[in-house]
Amino acid sequence: TSQSKQMGLQEVIPGLTSARAAEILARDGPNALTPPKSTPEIIKFLKQMVGGFSILLWVGALLCWIAFGIQVAQGVASAFDNLYLGVVLALVVILTGIFAYYQEAKSTNIMASFSKMIPQQALVIRDGEKREVSAEQLVVGDMVEIKGGDRIPADIRLIFAQGCKVDNSSLTGESEPQSRSCDFTHENPLETKNIAFYSTTCLEGTATGMVINTGDQTIIGRIASLASGVGNEKTPIAIEIEHFVHIVAGVAVSIGVLFFIIAVSMKYKVLDSIIFLIGIIVANVPEGLLATVTVSLSLTAKRMAKKNCLVKNLEAVETLGSTSIICSDKTGTLTQNRMTVAHLWFDDQIYSADTSEEQTTQSFDQSSQSWAALSKVVTLCNRAEFKPGQENVPIMKRVVVGDASETALLKFAEVILGDVMGIRKRNRKLAEIPFNSTNKFQLSIHETEDPNDKRFLMVMKGAPERILERCSTIMINGEEQPLDRERAEAFQTAYMELGGLGERVLGFCHLYLPEDEFPDTYPFDTDSMNFPTSNLCFVGLLSMIDPPRSTVPDAVSKCRSAGIKVIMVTGDHPITAKAIAKSVGIISANSETVEDIAKRLNVPVEQVNKEDARAAVINGMELKDMTTEQLDEILINHSEIVFARTSPQQKLIIVEGCQRQDAVVAVTGDGVNDSPALKKADIGIAMGIAGSDAAKNAADMILLDDNFASIVTGVEEGRLIFDNLKKTIAYTLTKNIAELCPFLIYIIASVPLPIGTITILFIDLGTDIIPSVALAYEKAESDIMNRRPRHKKKDRLVNEQLAVYSYLQIGIIQSIGAFLAYFTVYAEQGWLPNTLLGLRVNWEDDYYNDIEDSYGQEWTRYQRTYLQWTGYTAFFVSITIQQVADLIIRKTRRNSIFQQGLLRNKVIWVGIVSQIAIALILSYGLGSVTALNFTPLRVQYWFVAMPYAILIWVYDEIRKLFIRQYPGSWWDKNMYY
Amino acid sequence: MSKEEKKPFSQTMAEWRQFVYNPRSGEFLGRTAKSWGLILLFYLVFYGFLAALFTFTMWVMLQTLSGDIPKYRDRIRSPGLMISPKPVTALEFYFNKSDSQSYAEYVSTLKQFLKSYDDSKQSKNIACTAGKLFEQNEDRAIKQACQFNRTKLGSCSGVEDDTFGYAKGTPCVLVKMNRIIGLKPEGEPHIECLPKEEGKVQITYFPDGGMIDLMYFPYYGKKLHADYLQPLVAVQLAIISNRTKEEVTIECKIMGSPNLKNEDDRDKFLGRISFKIQMSE
Repeated sequence: TSQSKQMGLQEVIPGLTSARAAEILARDGPNALTPPKSTPEIIKFLKQMVGGFSILLWVGALLCWIAFGIQVAQGVASAFDNLYLGVVLALVVILTGIFAYYQEAKSTNIMASFSKMIPQQALVIRDGEKREVSAEQLVVGDMVEIKGGDRIPADIRLIFAQGCKVDNSSLTGESEPQSRSCDFTHENPLETKNIAFYSTTCLEGTATGMVINTGDQTIIGRIASLASGVGNEKTPIAIEIEHFVHIVAGVAVSIGVLFFIIAVSMKYKVLDSIIFLIGIIVANVPEGLLATVTVSLSLTAKRMAKKNCLVKNLEAVETLGSTSIICSDKTGTLTQNRMTVAHLWFDDQIYSADTSEEQTTQSFDQSSQSWAALSKVVTLCNRAEFKPGQENVPIMKRVVVGDASETALLKFAEVILGDVMGIRKRNRKLAEIPFNSTNKFQLSIHETEDPNDKRFLMVMKGAPERILERCSTIMINGEEQPLDRERAEAFQTAYMELGGLGERVLGFCHLYLPEDEFPDTYPFDTDSMNFPTSNLCFVGLLSMIDPPRSTVPDAVSKCRSAGIKVIMVTGDHPITAKAIAKSVGIISANSETVEDIAKRLNVPVEQVNKEDARAAVINGMELKDMTTEQLDEILINHSEIVFARTSPQQKLIIVEGCQRQDAVVAVTGDGVNDSPALKKADIGIAMGIAGSDAAKNAADMILLDDNFASIVTGVEEGRLIFDNLKKTIAYTLTKNIAELCPFLIYIIASVPLPIGTITILFIDLGTDIIPSVALAYEKAESDIMNRRPRHKKKDRLVNEQLAVYSYLQIGIIQSIGAFLAYFTVYAEQGWLPNTLLGLRVNWEDDYYNDIEDSYGQEWTRYQRTYLQWTGYTAFFVSITIQQVADLIIRKTRRNSIFQQGLLRNKVIWVGIVSQIAIALILSYGLGSVTALNFTPLRVQYWFVAMPYAILIWVYDEIRKLFIRQYPGSWWDKNMYY
Repeated sequence: MSKEEKKPFSQTMAEWRQFVYNPRSGEFLGRTAKSWGLILLFYLVFYGFLAALFTFTMWVMLQTLSGDIPKYRDRIRSPGLMISPKPVTALEFYFNKSDSQSYAEYVSTLKQFLKSYDDSKQSKNIACTAGKLFEQNEDRAIKQACQFNRTKLGSCSGVEDDTFGYAKGTPCVLVKMNRIIGLKPEGEPHIECLPKEEGKVQITYFPDGGMIDLMYFPYYGKKLHADYLQPLVAVQLAIISNRTKEEVTIECKIMGSPNLKNEDDRDKFLGRISFKIQMSE
């Protein structure tokens, strides 16, 4: 009949004509969500060109060109050096910019693959005939047909439906399937039964409907645009890097200006002073550092991806590490997202079942005859079946046709009894009444497998109280006993207890139909129910729950020791939510809620001192009526919070509440409605499996296995990278002093220039790059999950101690070591230190070609220049050698290097080897290339700074020793970075 | 976020004042007096130690050096050429032969330069065998120097003409070879000067042929060879009078010695020098 009805409909409604559809399409645009506005690529690229230190380097390049212009006008022979330097600086900015842009683009590309969906097709009636069109072509007024398994292609008002059920979870968060019909049942479009929403799925049945909204006009579209309205905030690491850039740029500019003034007042020419300024800027800016940071972050992002955390935005890597509150979903994230039998009650006793993911046996006492009877009911009164061909698949992983509870029971029975389908075959089913909401029970009648027993077995399951009503006896230890008041009370207690655990409880009963009344040939009729359905024998209770993932309790306790507050936000019932929260440790075993205390003390809830309760379970309805102050109070006063029966919209309110406490908030979400909260959160985590595209778009990170425990491993990685970035920056900043001091000494003492600008760039962008990336591979010094999350405003990436220790201590030692090498080279060639002082003007005079050294020899300009390059090379090599020591000491901030292990991080050694190899190549391989200002260096000059390298290591070991020995002391406060 | 971060200016100022001096905690620039004292003391000790260490390592390094000759001389294998007087700016001579003021600077430089060649200064120097290297025994603590009499410079010696020819329009320029310890020229080194364009100027050398006598080599260094006088070649330029007011470029090279380079691409002063001269009347 339905066929003919449908045919009729089609005749009545021929649908739009193609021409009309095209017209509407032109008016409304395609039926697709407008992707979130993304910054144009060119803007992104240009941003990389002016961000960070780039401005400073552009200024440097500009000054170079100005100096070049002036010098050319003056006819200075060396003018072109400045032109080249300017070009090199500009190239450095452009190349590092391109690199950063490329890295950024690469991580965005991972995402792009996500959003690429198979173009959806829709079955539409147009011009009176059915045809498949791309869902994007749908317009308002189109008639579409839907069947089970389809994604709804637009917002649709149903005009015909048969057994249609939809999953609205992506919209409302409710995962229960909802039936759909053509009846208008509610004023609110979200509530009425005759509207199906875009992007939800049709689970079963068929329907035909008219498109009422398309694209951004759909409910989902409106929510998505709401999400894009929530502004993106700077990530904590971006703030930290900005802070660090400000510090370094501040130092560079102030030293630059200071020495510009000093130079001018020392009667240097303004042009010379400008050239000094360029040198100071180049020496001060760690040109390679930002690229290194990007690489380190993307290395961590890769590592996290291996652990199922896919990071969309590189900076989110660290944000996860500084997370102080995680607002987690329950279903699927904390739990396995599958009903499982958790408890049984028979023989007046509660038994616990194993609920782990990989169960293969059940260990409760199965010797009782009652269990034999119960297991038979469980096995037979069940319509769920395994899909064929899964014999080799572990039971818990097999695909089942049937609803969640029946699936749970089927698997439970299969685990204990094995071959459920065989048992069913041997106990042939004769009649069956499926579960419906009026009866609230399910019933079936079977032959028994015992050929001598000619009785039929009737089995029944359903809501416990309804089942009990139909029973007159109860089975205890295999014996039927009368169901008296005492027994009924025992049942009530057990039922309440299991219900109190948040579990879904089912009752089971049976009856052997007497052989004389129901002979072999008895015609069972389920419509007239010509068999008894009362005075049955109650067998037992089974309760089911969606159990927590086995890794979650451990992960939650890790969070707790890491000082991260875990808040559960769920649409579920408070009792279930609380039970799961307790079982995973979000509410710890000995904490109580206000309600618990009230119950224990037997006083009204209002009289309980709220601060006594560590835990709180907040209902969505309560939350709706709360002021922000009240919410803040709850978030501050309770350390263990569960929000139950919340709508996805309320998640946003909770997130904002947490952010008001200065917390870094991570939020998990899967539904479209979660996207505003995901956007708003410091780090939005979308579910990779259950998550909707909108959620994935709004999120910063995607959890590939939907597992809460993966978040915690992500946190660990995030914290580690923060520590390691500190080390990288400390390492990189140190040598900036050794690069800067030569300029300052050059200006003040007028000695020949110890190191050239180009040479500095070779350190910053050459020898130092691989070692500073290598620090990203350093293992944690201690359990980083045992300390509190870093405070957004207090625990800075680059703090005063780090800057001071690197600049004023290790940096100064390095400078001294390098100057020793410089003076050695000059002295051994005939220029004793005292001769060098004040020599600069003559030294650099192109026409002064007979300057006398300390031994009476005379040097031409070029001979001096060549010696100067040898000095550059020696200075460069000395910095490199001391940077090796610097690299080793930066492996740890507190522990001794020997505790950390010198060889554990192999990449560090790759770094050291690369550093030395690059220096060797520059000195011996490229020593003959004039433009690079390197010369082949005598072997012994490589070792001049060695004592200082050793001093750096020894001094840092002493520093760390004192820090470990005297925690909290003056030394600790001033020396620990 | 951004709304919260924007603070009114007065508050920012108050915070700064608080940072500079906090009357409640007695903190000055974020530290108490005691804390400042400690940190300064620390850096005093730390830098004191570093200064001492640097001084010590420098001292050790200097101990390894000889006071007589530098450890390495590989950066100056071949000598450069230089002229005297050296004009203040580039190597360009401008003077008016009738204006003594315009060349007073050159003349006084030459006089000053040649003072050390006065006979009175050369009483200790010996007359060496011409044409032969004057190698001296290693165990001689003080090396002897050979005489170089100003008279060898002829009309450029300043003995007869104390304007070194500048007043007559025949200016003298002294060409000298840079001193390098241990340098032993081979062959017969002599200076040869060529004007860029033929016929502009006539060149006379003193000593004859611009010869540099080998007896002045090798040089033993400032300390051992205190009286050493490096050999000079005077070049007298007779500028053809109708060519005056025109710039003349002259390039001098050291010739005749295989181990004295004069053709280096990069070093324009290695064994050669070029200078310009312009005379007006």
